[in-house]
Amino acid sequence: MTNNNPLIQVKNLDLHFGAFHALKNVSVDFHAGELIGLVGDNGAGKTTLIRVLCGIYTPSSGEVFFDGRKVEKFHPKLAIDQGIETIQQSVGLCDNLSIARNFYLGREPLKRILGIPFLDFGTMREKSSRVIRQFGLRENVSADDEVERLSGGERQSVKIGRAVEFKNRVVIMDEPTNHLSVREREHVNELAVQLKEQGLLVIYITHDIFQVHKLADRIVIMENGEKVADASTDSMTAEELEEVIRQGGRVVEKREAV
Amino acid sequence: MGLSAAKPLIRRHAEIGIFLIGAVLIVIFASTSEGRWANLYNIGTIMQMTATLGLMSLGVALVIGTGEIDISVGSTFGMGALTYLWLAAHVDPSIAALAAIVVGAAIGFFNGLLVTWTRTPSLIITLGTLMIFRGIAIALTEGFSFSIPYAARKGWSYFLLGGDVFLGFNTALYWLIAVLVVLMVMLKAMPFGNRLLAVGGSVESAHSRGVRVERIKLSAFVLCGLLAGFAGTLEAGKLGFADGSMGRLMELQAIASCVLGGCLLAGGRISLPGALMGAFVLSSIQSYLVVTGVQPQWFVLILGVIVVLAAYGDKSLRQWALRK
Repeated sequence: MTNNNPLIQVKNLDLHFGAFHALKNVSVDFHAGELIGLVGDNGAGKTTLIRVLCGIYTPSSGEVFFDGRKVEKFHPKLAIDQGIETIQQSVGLCDNLSIARNFYLGREPLKRILGIPFLDFGTMREKSSRVIRQFGLRENVSADDEVERLSGGERQSVKIGRAVEFKNRVVIMDEPTNHLSVREREHVNELAVQLKEQGLLVIYITHDIFQVHKLADRIVIMENGEKVADASTDSMTAEELEEVIRQGGRVVEKREAV
Repeated sequence: MGLSAAKPLIRRHAEIGIFLIGAVLIVIFASTSEGRWANLYNIGTIMQMTATLGLMSLGVALVIGTGEIDISVGSTFGMGALTYLWLAAHVDPSIAALAAIVVGAAIGFFNGLLVTWTRTPSLIITLGTLMIFRGIAIALTEGFSFSIPYAARKGWSYFLLGGDVFLGFNTALYWLIAVLVVLMVMLKAMPFGNRLLAVGGSVESAHSRGVRVERIKLSAFVLCGLLAGFAGTLEAGKLGFADGSMGRLMELQAIASCVLGGCLLAGGRISLPGALMGAFVLSSIQSYLVVTGVQPQWFVLILGVIVVLAAYGDKSLRQWALRK
């Protein structure tokens, strides 16, 4: 069920990396209980936009509101504290650390001895082991194994498991099915829908418009750093949306604001 | 068959190489020095050298763990020693030591702030501060040396701070052991250690998980400066005097100790016991050259050659361990 007040509201967002204009006057609303497909070609600005939402980048201008309050400072720690979990495409795991240490990085469970905070290894191992089993990691992989040992799919599973375990209000998935088998992809897509049904906002980034059209309530299309379409999946077919991307957003005017 | 079984252990523990090299060198030095190297007095001297170099190496290892480097520690060591000697003549040595540690920590803070604030490579920043603080040390001493008057070399705090021996070893060695235990616990069993190694492993990933990367790097530089200042204090406590060149080239020995001890310069993987073993090996080599009467002019050259050979041996061992 969606709420009329957006959980995340992005207004006139611009982001420059030196001379490169990565995001151009982007405005978009995201509601709790929605599954949004964020699509576009490589370099369209999808990942850049979500990296602003999860606090990695600070916008050059424009505003972001979370639950009605303006976000004044951008840092991943603040975003995580507000309940935004992100499955990043290329970052998120440190190869040199174990699965359990990666799982709890930045939010380590503590056991105090004489008031001094020590890592609670029991909780770290037990919880991360349970989650990685759910996501199909091999039996011979232990929570104490370094991430370096894992295959691409297993690494992705650890990221997804972590996001699902700590899910709070928003789950952002950047190309979550990369490196996954067909069965694992289906599992991740089912999870995305389940999270939405639990009332969370799910932002799903992908190149595969046909895949996300089946899952999403709404599709936001980006092109060259601009939002070129924002349409409900009921109002446009996947083929029509694909045509929008092919035309670089030129057919949007007549379709937008559906 | 038997040797192959050791491969996984060597792969997992990069410091094993330096422990093997250390064992081989001990046998060679002991058997070729006619008892001049392997005697209790000389071992005590080696341990004292290891203690001060080791403390510096532990600090440098923490900075290396974050993917940065601090090559200014030799100058920080010198500043710590001079601060201690200057003050110990007037106040209790424990207060003088505290001041020296604060000076070291402040230099570390200065380094860390410049690195994180300007985002300039730490190699360049600390090369600059190496020269700045060496320059200050030389200017302060004006070509002379600072020393503690003999009358002031007394009291438990003076003896505890490197000024005496306990059970045959300089008290600096016990400080080293205590610091090693504290840092090992911090690195392995506390959130700070987890985050420090994460920053060295992948800055982007650590940042994306909410780790305050700048704070972690700054903390590592502060700890490094603090330990170098403390090492300078202990060295000054033992010698009783120091001049502006105190600690010169020790920065390179500290970095060499870390690299030999299995610390990856790219960051993310460090071994504190390995760094200490590296310091022990370097101190042992120096001591061997002294007791065998090598002319001082050849000293640095021979030390360098042995370090290169030891590093090559260590690399070969790791490559062998990685082969299937």
